[in-house]
Order: sequence, then structure tokens, then C-alpha cells
Amino acid sequence: MIGRLRSQTIEAGKSLTDWMEHRTGIVTILEHFLYEPVPRRGAWLYTLGSATLFLITLQFLTGILLLFYYVPTTDHAWNSVYYIMNDVYFGQLIRGIHYWSANFLLAVIGLHMARTFFSGSYKAPREINWVIGVILLLLVIGLAFTGYLLRWDQDGFWASVVGMKIGSYSPFVGGYVINFLLGGDVVGPATLSRFFALHVWLLPAAIAPLIGVHLYLLRRHGEFGMESEYTERLAKLHERERLEQYASYELHEDEGEPYVGRRDRADRDEE
Amino acid sequence: MAELQKDPMTRGDFLGFGLMGAIMGAILTIPPTAFVLSPIIKTNILGQTDVSEGWQEVGKVSEIPEDEPKAFEVDFPISQSYGTRSVQEESGVTDKRFKVKNAVWLSWKHKVIKEGRQGSAGDELGSGMRPAFMDEKSEGFTEQERQELVESINVLSNSCAHLGCPVRWLVNTEGHGEFLCPCHGGIYDINGGWVGGPPPRGMYRYTRVKVEEDGTLYVKHEFDTGGENGPQKPYVV
Repeated sequence: MIGRLRSQTIEAGKSLTDWMEHRTGIVTILEHFLYEPVPRRGAWLYTLGSATLFLITLQFLTGILLLFYYVPTTDHAWNSVYYIMNDVYFGQLIRGIHYWSANFLLAVIGLHMARTFFSGSYKAPREINWVIGVILLLLVIGLAFTGYLLRWDQDGFWASVVGMKIGSYSPFVGGYVINFLLGGDVVGPATLSRFFALHVWLLPAAIAPLIGVHLYLLRRHGEFGMESEYTERLAKLHERERLEQYASYELHEDEGEPYVGRRDRADRDEE
Repeated sequence: MAELQKDPMTRGDFLGFGLMGAIMGAILTIPPTAFVLSPIIKTNILGQTDVSEGWQEVGKVSEIPEDEPKAFEVDFPISQSYGTRSVQEESGVTDKRFKVKNAVWLSWKHKVIKEGRQGSAGDELGSGMRPAFMDEKSEGFTEQERQELVESINVLSNSCAHLGCPVRWLVNTEGHGEFLCPCHGGIYDINGGWVGGPPPRGMYRYTRVKVEEDGTLYVKHEFDTGGENGPQKPYVV
């Protein structure tokens, strides 16, 4: 009885996936995106990129949820965050995830970058992906900076003031940078509106397509350190070692006395 | 080279496309750019400010202690987005004005005995220059006395000249006081002169100060920037 049910379910599932595959190619796409050959050595280090993607996705999801209660005005920003933390069901969880995954995001990006750097994964043909990764890093830093002010508490407020003042020291454009961020020449309602617009729309809208390009380029060239890359490199290394060995024999011949050299001379003498 | 175009372009086509491109590009880019950069155009280029340009009351000069500064809270009305007065009046929310809250440190100027060098040591200071007539009265000052008061009072912004954090007055166990910035440890003396830490200059002074006959001190939101003091404004005070 159970066996028959099981086989029927499998059958139904199979025909459903076949039906979808036939119309959308979804299975092929998923296979393409989910299965990626990864070098056996240091395989765990290659999960750092996925960890980054996971945390960014968390940011998007919890950020959308927080928008249901957050009010971006100087009068109500702090109160609405307080409300989220104290009165909304699972408010502490949702905002906690947003806060902590933002913190871990920067740490994981650092590790991801370090792995890319130390394994030399930025080398040809993957340079553009490194460049896009750096742009993504800058966008995430921008998100972290703008998100800090939205709480509108002493901590976030003064951290943002310090950050904006640092911007005001940039050569030539300093005054423009700070007035752009302030939305005027003092901190006020315009400042909060701007940071909100940057944090919730502009930067996420810029980051999303770039993540797509980052992933596309990764899939195009594959993870660095693939088997094929290694075999090619190993073959080259062996070839070079072989040539070096020959060169060392030649050196011995000039110096005179090794066994091979002597036989060569003996052959020549006979002629 | 990859062949991108089948038909070669004539010179006329090229110029036409260029002209149309320029016009369309301008129509598409100028409005949103000006929209987003509006504060830069208003403040940096047209030189407007969000802060009300009127006199704001700080406090009575008689409240200034003899040998240390006192902080007064001052609310400068500002007009930013929905804080603009006409918007407020039209919507009927006239009782709510947007303000930027500043602390103003008032103290009697202390005589500089020996000027210090920026980067090595602060000024060597003498005694405070509290006018003698302050012992006798706290209001009803004559024109001349009011002038003397303005000249002998330090009117300092609490915004650190380094990165804008609020400075406060701290007195050590020996009774010696200094302004200290909590963010990166900038230190100033009672005159607001640089003593130590990262600030590139002394504290910002309010440049427009007046004392009324009843002994109340008023300021305008203007500071001693530019010239020798460098271009840095206390943007976020």
C-alpha cells in the first residue's frame, strides 16, 4: 500500500518537473545555478561567497519586514524602532537578524575577499569580477553607514555626524559631499529622509543587479582552482622541472666530469 | 574588430544622432540630477542656509561662572523639507517648528600670557577678564558696558573642530579644567584654543554676538571659518 503510494507520488512529481522543464527550462537553470564543481583542496573556503549572498538575502528580507513599522521622520524614527523592539511580535528577532547579519556581512565579505586574494582568484580571466566585488563592498559600506543613522539614537546620530565630517575633508568636493548627505547645511529632517532613500532604495537597487553580474561572471569562468586549471598548471610545472634538470646536466658537461658527459666525450673521441 | 554596424554612417547621420543624443540626454539627466543635488545648489552655489538668520537668545551674562564655562542650550529654527515655515502654516501645524539644538559654551576670556604653537603646546593662560562692574549689577548695562561684555566673553560652539562631536568641560583632580571631545580626544582650553588631540584648530566661535541692556546674550548662527582658520565649517552643529 505505502509502496504503491510512494511510487505514484514519485511518478506525479516526475511528470510535473518534466512539464515545467519543457515549458521553462527551470530544471536546467537550477542545475546550472546550484551545482558548481569546487576544488577539493580548501573546499570550505569556497563557501564564503555563498555565505555573503545568504546574509545579503537576509538583509533584503528583514529590511522589507522592518519597513512595515519603521517611520523615517525625526519625530518618530527612534520611537518606531522602540516599538519594533518592544511591541511587535518577533520584533527583536527580525531587527536583531537585520542588525547582526549586517555586522557579520562585513566580516564575511572581508574573509571572502581575503580568500580571493590569497588564492589568486582575481587573475585573468576573472579581473572584472574582482572589480565588481570591490564596487559591491563599497555599496555595502554605504548601506552600513546610512543604516546607522536611521535608528536616530545618540550612537547612530554621532557616528553619522563623524562620518559626514570625514567626508567633508575630501579634497575639492568635501563641502558638496557633506551638504549632499545633510540635505542642507545642518542635520535635520532632510538628512534622515536622504539616508532613508539611500539605504532603502538607491543602494539596494544598485547592489541587486551587480550581485547578478557577479554571479554570472562566476558561473562563466567557474571557481578558481578547478581540476583542469590545476592539471594544466601541474603539467607546465613538470615541464619546467624537466627542462631545469636538463639544464643542470648541461652545466655539469661544461664543468667536465659527470658520467654522462664522459660518455659523450668518449663517443666524440671515437669519431 | 567585430563588425557592429552593417551600413556605414554618413557624416550627416552622425551629427544628427549626436545632436539628438545631446538634447535627449539633457532632458533625461538634468531634472533628476538637479532634483537630488538641490541642497548643494542652494547651499554651496547660491549660498543659502537652512538655519534662521535671526538673533537667538542664549542666556544671562550674570549666570556665567567666574572661572569655568557654562553650557546654554540654544534652539536655532531650521527650514528643511517639511520643516519649511510656509509648508507648516499651510498644513495648519504652526506650533511645531523644526530646530537644531546646539550647546553654546559661555565663559570669561582668559588672558593669553604666551601663545602656544599648534602641534606642540597650547596657550599659557592668565586670569579671567571678568569686568569689574559685573560684581555690582546683572542688568541695566550701558552701551559701553555692553560692548565690553561682548569683547570679554568666549562664545564657543560645542561642535569639535575635528569631526563635530559635542565637547564638554572636564575638571581634573587638581582643579584644572579643559574642554574634552568624547570621540577622539580633542582638548581645548577655556578660550577654545587648541591644547591637544586631532583637531586642526581651536573651537568654533560665534562671530555674531550681542548683549542687551537686561544682560541677555544673543547669537546668530555664524562662525569664524575661512581665512587663517581654514575652510572647515562646523557643518553639523
